[in-house]
Amino acid sequence: MSQNGLGDLLAKWRDNWKTWRIIFFVVLGVLVLLNIPFVTHHPHFGLDKYPGFFAAFGLIVGLVMVILMKKIIQPFIAREEDYYGD
Amino acid sequence: METSVFYHPSMAFLAFALVVPFIPTQLWLNKAFRGALALVAPLVALYSIFTVEPGTYGAIQYLDQSLIFGRVDGLSIVFGQVFAIIATIGAIYGMHVEDRGHFVCGSLYVAGGFGCVFAGDLLTVFLFWELMSIGSTFLIWQARTKESVGAGFRYFLYHTVGGLFLLGGLLLKYKATGSFAFEGVNPADAQLYDWLILTGFCVNAAVVPLHAWLPDAYPRASVAGAVYMCAFTTKTAVYVLARGFAGWEVLAIAGTIMAVFGVLYACIENNSRRILSYHIVSQVGYMVAGIGIGTAMTLNGAVAHAYAHILYKGLLFMGTGCILYAVGTAKLDKLGGLATKLPWVMVWYMVAALSISGMPLFNGFISKTMTIAGAAEHHRTILALCLEIAAVGTFISVGIKLPYFAFWGGKKEYKGEIKPIPVNMYVGMAICGLLCIAQGVYPHLLYQYLPFPVEGHQFEPWTIDKVLNSGLLLGFSGLAFYLTREIITPHAKLNLDFDWFYRLIGKVTMGAICWPVSKVDDVWTEVYRTVGLRSLIGMGDGTSWFDKKGIDTVVDGSAYTVRNIGRLGAKAQTANLQDYLAWAAVLGLGIFALVWYFG
Repeated sequence: MSQNGLGDLLAKWRDNWKTWRIIFFVVLGVLVLLNIPFVTHHPHFGLDKYPGFFAAFGLIVGLVMVILMKKIIQPFIAREEDYYGD
Repeated sequence: METSVFYHPSMAFLAFALVVPFIPTQLWLNKAFRGALALVAPLVALYSIFTVEPGTYGAIQYLDQSLIFGRVDGLSIVFGQVFAIIATIGAIYGMHVEDRGHFVCGSLYVAGGFGCVFAGDLLTVFLFWELMSIGSTFLIWQARTKESVGAGFRYFLYHTVGGLFLLGGLLLKYKATGSFAFEGVNPADAQLYDWLILTGFCVNAAVVPLHAWLPDAYPRASVAGAVYMCAFTTKTAVYVLARGFAGWEVLAIAGTIMAVFGVLYACIENNSRRILSYHIVSQVGYMVAGIGIGTAMTLNGAVAHAYAHILYKGLLFMGTGCILYAVGTAKLDKLGGLATKLPWVMVWYMVAALSISGMPLFNGFISKTMTIAGAAEHHRTILALCLEIAAVGTFISVGIKLPYFAFWGGKKEYKGEIKPIPVNMYVGMAICGLLCIAQGVYPHLLYQYLPFPVEGHQFEPWTIDKVLNSGLLLGFSGLAFYLTREIITPHAKLNLDFDWFYRLIGKVTMGAICWPVSKVDDVWTEVYRTVGLRSLIGMGDGTSWFDKKGIDTVVDGSAYTVRNIGRLGAKAQTANLQDYLAWAAVLGLGIFALVWYFG
């Protein structure tokens, strides 16, 4: 019954989502701090010689992509699911 | 272990496809027997590929042409190897399926894939290319749903058109050069026929805007069939592109567009299997871009990524296939909270999701970074940046959005019935997942097979800055998801894609043909009614008299015979185009077998 055991464990983890959120933020912070001494060896994009480049890149690209696609593009191209009749 | 023979993997799969229909039902329904039998061909393939020596095998003469079935070199071995692995895993995952059709179609399809990879000339490529197209069409129909029928027809139509581009190209090439040789083409010497062949290959590689068949068909394939589908068609295309069109600038651009385009569509898609399908377009984009840039490092990156991709994408489709199997839908708006009910599915899905996202410790990390670094080192900065953008989108859609809305929260949970998942499906996922992790931890497991020699320093993914950069990129993409989680919540919508244009072309063509035909028909009907009918009635009177007096006695006997033959014919005419296509395929394979044997 390991499946149920694992399922119960996951249920417990899910209930503790606030702790996981704290862990997530701490990990992000640690990664940024580590990036200060260990910065990219061979920068290719110019700005990636600065610490935190990939953090900013991931965040900004992610935000722009989601907002652009869901809020601006999707209203134009979304149709009902049976639009093609199949 | 040295061997001077090459057991062509396609032969094993074709033999299996041939045997399956004749196995007695009692025996076939025995799961252990069926499973063991289904494993024979993949294991033969594995053995064959791990023991074969590079060389040229199996040349036969046909119509004054020398067809080469076994070009075994570094590039074909590495693709053959991963094909054999996923065929084995797919066979394990699909063991519980009782429908013989699944095994026959799957085997024909896999045989086609192997055939293309080991083909030494364009004619042989074309032969197996078409076999693959037929096998995969039937694999879609194996889902046996109403929507899979339509999707299968559209898929087949589309791949037939792609195949015709390839055929046209290779025939023109033969006319111009007198040979069907399949070697790398220098982009500076490109002829029209090269472009035609390239177009045919690009259809199968799902190059935007020729890609819409993929998100149309794959989500509608059967649960077990989709595992094969996501591995073979596009990756065979990647192989032939790497073989024939390395260094073509158009591919560098097209691949990068694919990588970003697929990610953007996946971002707004609701059906989890369609999200994964758009991510095939995106991930194959990395490979196509790597091939287009054409340095040894990017080519190796493309090959490594194809290898890694086949494993993690297979696993992703196995995971979502489990959901579809257990719950009956793969649409995110209907799922939710499945982690506690299908925990192991979640675990193996996450292994694949982290792999595709390029998380350190998983195999996407060692393959994706190679392509991007190769692009950057070759001073293709914009391409490399776009590939990084695609990496962000990949993690958001496949790494977080899909599992979050299927397995965790964000909206109401799925409360319905959950069908138990057969053990073999878990076994298939576990093998695939462990391979993804093993390659991520020990890149050399994969790198040792890469075919293109790199001069100077070798690519090393496990450096502190690369690990940190990946962690930062993915971590903060995760933060972006967290901040926009209300916005990205999936909706039950269909998003228009380029297939809207394909359908328009279809409608216009049909209209252009039907309109004149219907006009002619109108006129003809009128003429027939006024002139033809009267004379026919007169003739009818005459013949009926002749019939009564003379023929009846003679003809009755032969009429019975004709009726019996007619019944047999009527049985074969099921009015299902699928059946006719199946008969054509059987006939074609039969002829091919005869030629192979006697030629």
